[in-house]
Amino acid sequence: MFPEHPELSIAIPSTTELLKMVVELSRHIATINQFSPLEAQKIALAIDEAITNVIKHSYKGKITEDIKLEFYSAPDGLKIKIVFTGVPPVLGQPGVDLDKFIKEKKKGGLGVELMRRIMDSVQYKTVGNINTCEMVKLKKLQKSTA
Amino acid sequence: MKSFYIRSKVQEDTAVLYPKGHLDAHNVDRFEKEMLKLIASKVVNIIINCKELNYISSAGMGIIMGYLDEIREKGGDIKLCCVDERVYEIFDLVGFTEIYDFLDSEETAVAKFKV
Repeated sequence: MFPEHPELSIAIPSTTELLKMVVELSRHIATINQFSPLEAQKIALAIDEAITNVIKHSYKGKITEDIKLEFYSAPDGLKIKIVFTGVPPVLGQPGVDLDKFIKEKKKGGLGVELMRRIMDSVQYKTVGNINTCEMVKLKKLQKSTA
Repeated sequence: MKSFYIRSKVQEDTAVLYPKGHLDAHNVDRFEKEMLKLIASKVVNIIINCKELNYISSAGMGIIMGYLDEIREKGGDIKLCCVDERVYEIFDLVGFTEIYDFLDSEETAVAKFKV
């Protein structure tokens, strides 16, 4: 369904300073792929969350590492691949107990859940020292008005 | 160039936070600092007026979540108002709309604290 090679590939240093730029770029790409402004904003947020996690957890805040971001467009949707090294991500089970998080005064733990709720699929894999986060968002079928 | 601004005002026993712009992991420390300033000054009725907030990631939501228990233990609460549709959608995605009061105006939020 998705092409073998990305339409757009960029490499950014692992700094949170560039998150806004990534969000704006991602929103733009989602919009030109015919996602609504609201859906485009959510896709951009999922990408922000994935990159923030890479910076915080895989690179432990080190700002000199690289993160590669690839966008693959298809008529049915958009695939985003984030490639990085560092510590392989360890994901919890889907679902969050917000009441429990509040009682525990947790300030984190919502990012991956947001990614899962926004995207149709979120998959992480590690091969050798290369980690990949692959996310897919499918376009919703428009109901016929005929 | 800064993409996020935060200011607050305190009137009687209620404080209003005014986040503006793009709130993400890069600038969340400033949001947390402002929240901590209010808690340290013993103000526990907190309204977050999101009128000029056009983006929030889980980093910003984490601050709203992380201090709620402490604030409620002290007899206060956090209420949100004037939230843009796109930002509201994000709060709703993780269930914040079931935990917090979301109100249409700052005046309504202030009034809710007086009930």
